[in-house]
Amino acid sequence: MIWRLIAMVVGACAILVGAVLVAHQSPVESLHTLIHGSLGSPAAIAGTLREATPLLICGLAVFIALRAGLFNIGVEGQLLVGACTCAVVAIRLPGVPGMILGVVAGMVAGALWALPAGLIKAYRNGHEVITTIMLNNVAIFITSALVAGPIKDKTQADTATAYVAASSRMPWLYRTPTVEVNFSLVLGILLAIGMALWLKRTVAGYELQAVGANRVAARFAGVSPQKVTMLAMTISGALGGLAGAVQVLAYEGRFYDGFSPGYGFDALGVALLAGGSAYGVLPSSLLFGMLSKGGTALQIDGVPKGITTVVLGMLILIAAAIRYRKVTTTDA
Amino acid sequence: MLGITKIFGAVTALDRVDLEVSQGAIHAIVGENGAGKTTLMRILYGALQPDQGTIEVEGKAVRFGSSREAIASGVGMVSQHYGIIPELTCLQNLVLGAEGGLILRNRSAEARAKSLATQMGFEFEWQAEAATLSPAGAQKLEILKLLWREARVMILDEPTAMLSPADANALFESLDRLAAGGATIILVTHRLPEVLEHCQRVMVLRNGKRIAEKAVAETTGGDLAQLIVGGALERSEESSPFSPGSPLLEVSNLSVKGDRGELALKGVEFGLRSGEILGIAGVDGSGQRELFETIAGLKKPIEGSIVMLGNDARGLSTANRIAHGLRLIPEDRHAQGVVENWSLDENSALGLQRLPPFAKGGRVDGRARHQMATQIANRFNTRHGGLNLPMSSLSGGNQQRFVAARSLCLDPKLLLAFQPARGLDIKGTQQVYDGIREVCRLGSAALVVSFDLDELLEQCDRVVAMNHGRLYEPPASLAKDRDAIGRLMVGAQ
Repeated sequence: MIWRLIAMVVGACAILVGAVLVAHQSPVESLHTLIHGSLGSPAAIAGTLREATPLLICGLAVFIALRAGLFNIGVEGQLLVGACTCAVVAIRLPGVPGMILGVVAGMVAGALWALPAGLIKAYRNGHEVITTIMLNNVAIFITSALVAGPIKDKTQADTATAYVAASSRMPWLYRTPTVEVNFSLVLGILLAIGMALWLKRTVAGYELQAVGANRVAARFAGVSPQKVTMLAMTISGALGGLAGAVQVLAYEGRFYDGFSPGYGFDALGVALLAGGSAYGVLPSSLLFGMLSKGGTALQIDGVPKGITTVVLGMLILIAAAIRYRKVTTTDA
Repeated sequence: MLGITKIFGAVTALDRVDLEVSQGAIHAIVGENGAGKTTLMRILYGALQPDQGTIEVEGKAVRFGSSREAIASGVGMVSQHYGIIPELTCLQNLVLGAEGGLILRNRSAEARAKSLATQMGFEFEWQAEAATLSPAGAQKLEILKLLWREARVMILDEPTAMLSPADANALFESLDRLAAGGATIILVTHRLPEVLEHCQRVMVLRNGKRIAEKAVAETTGGDLAQLIVGGALERSEESSPFSPGSPLLEVSNLSVKGDRGELALKGVEFGLRSGEILGIAGVDGSGQRELFETIAGLKKPIEGSIVMLGNDARGLSTANRIAHGLRLIPEDRHAQGVVENWSLDENSALGLQRLPPFAKGGRVDGRARHQMATQIANRFNTRHGGLNLPMSSLSGGNQQRFVAARSLCLDPKLLLAFQPARGLDIKGTQQVYDGIREVCRLGSAALVVSFDLDELLEQCDRVVAMNHGRLYEPPASLAKDRDAIGRLMVGAQ
């Protein structure tokens, strides 16, 4: 078994080195660029943290659904809808109320966007993977149409909304012209801690995980899988929406066409790599953030950014292999 | 098999066990849970490798790396959990894994299947889905699967656990016929009457050691029972007469639809009073499952009422019923009773998670849960390697002990038990039923479903029978008459 694992890791590295060589770059140098680009300077670290923030919140959204046995592939859509709604609300309300209401509106919109998938899963047993993928497409096109028409800022050429007033933006923890760290990172960390405690210490968290681990046994234990499915999808959707709102209020300042580079999809990997605890989402999202930031640096070097996606894929495969190895050994 | 030794970690599961089985005989292996019966059989058919010792089949030394190699040498096993895929036809199930080539020859396969079945006196609808098979039918199909693969040594693990007395007798008739035809049959069982009646030789295992091997004709049930537990069996006190108290469960005119839309319960009526243990006998599939799930609140009746602990149960969810004092021992501990990849500690609260001391307000009380888990594990001597290990590390019998003890731990008012002693040995069975009796004598009541009529007659205060969704109560004069209830189970008056 251990040999198979080693073979996998070696194989993964070989593919990577091969891919970098095909791009006519030195593997060692590329690795250096990757690490230097993501962790080499205060500015690089700040960039990594910036990338990690939405991945962390989206990762938590996927993670909570996963604990209830649900694959919420729809975080991307929930993020877009949340971001779009938040921008619309926050533009109209200056100051702190605009920020708070923007966040609430984003979360509500995300939750509502996940609701149909939850209902269909809970009461008609339609698979959530299919429905959330469909809802992603709907979200992408609707927000794209809205930002091209009704909510477009007519004063500028971009297909984008107007900017949210500076007074409604999320505060900076630390800011110099080159290094910025936003409060939203703290929010994400607090959420991870809160979720871990909620799952471990509350009866509701226990029941949610019971449904995820053995739906039938949960039913016999007096837990309603329908209610838990609805709860998990709602929380998951609200977190997806929150991630969108945070992107608007912390970093982007507005909503525009092509708003998310796929945070909702990367979040699937973040949650899978996190393992069984919400705390695991913290290092996992940081790693994804590093690769994302470092990947940009690699691109400047002439290595396609896609390489980092390959790295992520390999990591997920290895993580899954390790986990399934445990399952088979306990089974025997 | 000579000098078979198998060590799991620090536990010696088998200690230099010899087993010699002669051709044309039925050989029984008996012992408590954890005595090593299953491990020995798994070694014989290749699922496990022994640490020491040798196996010879028909005079030739063999080493089986897998069950595939074992079956090639003519050794096969019918397990407790049938390996039948319900979506395939009976014929497809029969040939699965032994198709003998890339192209399926359905016609010749069916002809051969028919001739095998006729030899055994079985009848099958070969093109029907296997889902339509009764448990007895599934068992017969499993035996045919071994014959199809030309097995000469057949291992049967608790073959009659799910069968009615009539089906069990029919099964033994066919086993006798097989043995007479030169097959060698090894029977692992907890039921001593079966051994005495149908087997030629018997081996007793205890704590991984061979305690005795005898000709059945030279032994008695009492002898064997003593050898199995290693000392005189303590019979529990003959249940003292009691007077049933107030009614705790009243079911009237209950009709329920089954999963396939058929009427699974038809106008079922009965009452259960405080202090009473009511046994429900019946062939598997007579509606016991639906009755259990309806009383538990997992299924909605189409007609009729349930009054539970003084409340109309119609508006009550399973969680509400549990809060009122209902406790469940589900039929299938793997699927319904535990979360296998959770620890014993975590599993101790399953079903009781909203009740104190497991819950304090809406919070989980970890310390109290750990204490309760310790109590639950100790109650029926669940053998485990630590409360933080996953449930899947326990053997089936030990999981059953845990699930049964859990249902009794927090002052149950009404206990609903589906085969509460499933897979347990004599001592374990008695412990669990003693536990049930204890809470009942304190004012609770229990409804026990089992396919083992003798167990019910021995352990329950009153036994009723189910057949095709109807409940039949024997007349008062024949209240504990085995034959009378046996007749009700199959629908004869």
